[in-house]
Amino acid sequence: MTPYSAVATLGRWGRERVEGLGWAGRFVGDTLRAAGDVKTWGPEVTKHATSLGVQSLPIALYIALFTGIVLALLASYSFTGAVPLYFVGTLVEKTVTMELAPVLTGLALAGRVGANIAAQLGTMRVTEQIDALETLAFDPQSYLVVPRVIAGTIMFPIIVGLAMVVGVGAGWLASVLLLDLASVDFVKGMRLFFDSFDVRYGLVKAGSFGMAVTWIGCMQGMTARGGAEGVGRAATSAVVYSAVIILVLDAFWAMAWLLGRDA
Amino acid sequence: MKRANDFAVGITILLGIVIIVGATLWVSQADFGRRDQAVTARFRDVGGVRIGTPVVVRGVQAGRVDAMELADNGFVEVRLELDQGVTLPREPVVLLNESSLFGEWQATITEREAATRDEELARQLSEASLNDDLLPGATLPDIARLTAVAGRIAGDVASVAERVRVAFDDQAAREMRNSIRNFADLSTVLAQTVREQSNNLTTMSSEVRGGVESLVRSAELLRLVAERVDSSTTRGEIKQIVDDAAEAARQLRETGRRLVAISGQLGRSQDRLESMLTRGDSIATRISEGRGSLGLMINDPSLYRNSDSLMIQLRALIADVQKNPRRYINLRIF
Repeated sequence: MTPYSAVATLGRWGRERVEGLGWAGRFVGDTLRAAGDVKTWGPEVTKHATSLGVQSLPIALYIALFTGIVLALLASYSFTGAVPLYFVGTLVEKTVTMELAPVLTGLALAGRVGANIAAQLGTMRVTEQIDALETLAFDPQSYLVVPRVIAGTIMFPIIVGLAMVVGVGAGWLASVLLLDLASVDFVKGMRLFFDSFDVRYGLVKAGSFGMAVTWIGCMQGMTARGGAEGVGRAATSAVVYSAVIILVLDAFWAMAWLLGRDA
Repeated sequence: MKRANDFAVGITILLGIVIIVGATLWVSQADFGRRDQAVTARFRDVGGVRIGTPVVVRGVQAGRVDAMELADNGFVEVRLELDQGVTLPREPVVLLNESSLFGEWQATITEREAATRDEELARQLSEASLNDDLLPGATLPDIARLTAVAGRIAGDVASVAERVRVAFDDQAAREMRNSIRNFADLSTVLAQTVREQSNNLTTMSSEVRGGVESLVRSAELLRLVAERVDSSTTRGEIKQIVDDAAEAARQLRETGRRLVAISGQLGRSQDRLESMLTRGDSIATRISEGRGSLGLMINDPSLYRNSDSLMIQLRALIADVQKNPRRYINLRIF
């Protein structure tokens, strides 16, 4: 490889990244513009809310259940002999509410919801159904993207909120049944440093995750090319990008809300 | 199908909101509709207290910190929401302190008297007392400050320990062993002494107990006497007795004085008697020795006979005189 071609390759890579960002920005802009077409996306929201949200509840609660149990046991293991055991309640509440419920649920739903959306829309793209919609003067953004993004943004906080309750409840039950910890002590620890901000923080994060996962799934599906292989690549990319964006957003919210906040 | 979707989504959202809000309110111990009482306290510094920090009265959680704000003159005013029916102690003050080693704080409402034993707290409370409705407050040092002090103390102890280690060589150890041995002997002696003293003390204590019991009995008797005296005093008998005693004493004094006089007279009479007896003895001696007229009369029978004869003649003379007075008496008038 000559120096010239090496520099050219670097330039192409940079251009493609910038192009990707530009395309993503244009896609987001199109979605926001399509959000005004309520008559088109309105009737579709509950259908997608059911498939993305209601049907995702079991996996989300299942994850929360075991997360709470394991967290209580880990906290007990770490605290024994050094920190009063009622701090298990504090740790379970803080960790589940602020971090684990939103992030783990987000990652799980990124796999389920993101891949589902990318596969659906990718199949529609490669089978030219989206082209047919455009031919029939349907805006694919209004009909396909907006209801999914809105459903995801609404349902993710609901699912994460229930996961918070189940996770903390599971940690509580595990502490009482498996550890030598009285119920009142767990509740004391849970209430010790509880702030309703913890819940708000987790729910806002969950909403942003839902929006990001559905948007990325839609983008990857809408840009799928090359038949079934392209659909598979789109689904994989949707999961990967969703997971990465979830972690980036997690860090963003932590820096935006937690840095400098007086607990 | 569409209605079923709508219902499923709607019920999920509704349940989710209800459960999340309910759980949040329960964990944060929100209490709606309860008319709590509120008090406001003034502090120089609130340490690690936050909104929601528990308020404790006599060790029982009785409310929470509701609001905090910076006030004039470098104070912080903290509003405390108290549960219904909570009665504040007399002269209440609010102390902010850590409730555990892990950064938990609490606001304790207590009596001023209980808080002013510590000089620093008393100073803070005095500073925060401005004759208004706000309770004076003070902040106890947090664990970090106490730990820093403890750290300095630990450093000093370590320094002392190092010096001891340097000074404590083999010679010192031997001396220490000897000292310990001596101390053990001393301790044995002391123990023996203590045992003896203990026995003595036991004896003394039993005696003292006996003495105390006697005192109790005496006190009881005294009490009875006092009661009697009291009752006698009430009826005036004591006064009568005292008056009688005074009169008797006066009579005794008089009798004594007379006895002294009689005694003096008796002395003199005795002297005279002795003199008379001496003389009588002398006379009797002379009489028995036949000296003097009486001696002669007693010891010489002829005198008796002469006297007897004389007496006979005198009787005859008297009889003759009585019989013939003119023979012996010649009475003439003019």
